[in-house]
This record gives sequence, C-alpha cells and structure tokens, in this order.
Amino acid sequence: MGITANETVDAKGLACPMPIVKTKKAISDLAPGQVMEVQATDKGSTADIKAWAESTGHQYLGTVEEDDVLKHYLRKASDDEVKNEANYDDVIDLQVLRNKVDGLEDVTILDVREQAEYAFNHIPGAINVPLGELENRMDEINTDKEIHVICRTGSRSDLAAQKLSQKGFKIVKNVVPGMAEWDGPTEKSTK
Amino acid sequence: MENNNTRVAIIAANGGMFDAYKVFNIATAAAASDKEVGIFFTFEGLNLIHKEAHKNLAMPEGKEHFKEGFEKTNVPSISELLEMAQEMGVKMIGCQMTMDVMNLEKDDFVEGIEVGGAASFIEFAKDADISLTF
Repeated sequence: MGITANETVDAKGLACPMPIVKTKKAISDLAPGQVMEVQATDKGSTADIKAWAESTGHQYLGTVEEDDVLKHYLRKASDDEVKNEANYDDVIDLQVLRNKVDGLEDVTILDVREQAEYAFNHIPGAINVPLGELENRMDEINTDKEIHVICRTGSRSDLAAQKLSQKGFKIVKNVVPGMAEWDGPTEKSTK
Repeated sequence: MENNNTRVAIIAANGGMFDAYKVFNIATAAAASDKEVGIFFTFEGLNLIHKEAHKNLAMPEGKEHFKEGFEKTNVPSISELLEMAQEMGVKMIGCQMTMDVMNLEKDDFVEGIEVGGAASFIEFAKDADISLTF
C-alpha cells in the first residue's frame, strides 16, 4: 500500500553528512506531527537518521529499501503530544487491550496515527484512519461496535475518541498509553 | 530538541584534505543535530579556513589515488562543507598567535570567522560535552 509522507527529501547519491544536513533543513518547513520521507543511497544513512532523530527529538518511524534507494520515514515532534492533556474519560489500559487481543476476542481497533507510523508497526487487524482524516472518513467505522482508539501516546486518540462519541458512536475507549508501550504482536504494511 | 544545549568543541590543528573532511563532517553533522559547535583553527589547521588554501588542500603523500573515490562517492567539496557549517551557525575561531607567526591577517580568511587566542577557545570548551582534536 506504500507509505504516505507530507514531504520528500532527495538525498540520493549524496555522501555523509549530507543526508542529515538536508533532513535538518527540510524538517524546519514541516508542521509538527507531519511525516517526512528521506531518500538516500548512503548506506550509513539508516543508522545516522535514527541517531539524528534520537538527538533532535523527532520520531524515527522506519526505513524501506526499494531499488537500492533507502527511504527513511520521520515524524516531526510536536510539543502538545508530550503534554498529554486527557479529556476523554472512558479509557482502557493497554494491558487490558493486550489481553483481549491475546484472547483472540473480536476487537475493533482504530489506529489514528499517521499512515506512515501505522505502516511500520501496528496491531494486526487494526484499522488506520489518521486523526486529521477522521472527520471525513467516519463512515468507514461501524457505529455499533465497541471501538478501541489508539495512537502513539494516548493524546491523539483522546481527541479522536471525543470526536467519535460526539458523532454518535456508542462505545468508544481511548487506549492508554498507546503504541509507544505496546509489546504485543504487530505487523507491517510497508509494501 | 531538548538536547540543544549539547556543546561540541573541536581543535583543527592539521591542514590536509583528510583533516578538513574529518573536521567539517563532524562539525556539520553535529550542527545538524542541534548541537552548539565551535572549532579552533590553529597552525596548519588555519588552511581549512584560508580563503584560497581551503579550496585546494593536499591529499596525504601516497594517498593521491583516493581522489577518484572522492569523486565517485559524490562527497561534498570542502568549500561546500565550510559554507554549510557556517550557515548552521558553527562558530569558527582562528588562532591569533599562529596568524601572527605566519604573517596572516583576518582578511586572508573566509568571511564570518572570529579571531582569538587559546583562552577564547578554552572559554568555549570549558562547558563542552564533547571535545575533539584533529
């Protein structure tokens, strides 16, 4: 299904430290929470981009290799996510969700992270509708089911859960904290 | 973002092409990672910021065949790296004492450098988290 990015940086054919320098420049034009794709052929760039993200506070999502081109995905850090102001009361602990998933219960999981985040790491069977698209894509979700909304840290899913319950979804649970702490089964859909 | 107080202090004391790459690669990578970077150029290291000399730095003797490798791997030129480093706010200090010994003026160097003695570098380096010498 491919991976969606808001911006693409072309660092193909460039040697270290150029991929990092170009990434640094390009990310300043991105809005917080947006996703950037960095294309590089420098084999060291995978380790470098990861380390760079670590030291600058941005989120490294993952890398796919296509025709000798490494495509790295990053998500620009946003301050509001760290603050984590929870407003939606009906929360469910990640471990409780884990037990349901492990018990093979039929659970509806709505993952509201960006498509690129979801692509590299999500709970098998989870549906992906990024928070920004939720308003327009609500018809993709079954109103009658119990919906477990999840994101990375629990704050985008908090907003999504509020939206869903306002629109008449009956049982909506915000899963806390979120994928950042999930150690259950996951799958990828980067192809 | 939260780590932007990390400081990197570098001494550049050699003036060959390999030395220049070591210094500027580390410096630009560090600056791109939101570190605060300062380089003190002393003795042959002054070549790296000399207006003309930095464009034509020598390969180490017997290593001239690496020229091809540099071209093939599309490594940026020293001029480009120098410019990028400055653009990203890398602080560059030329050593006054060496400049005097070599009879060089501030105008002999690229724009934007500072000139200072060892004490000005020490002042910058005393709070450094990473110190490197090339």
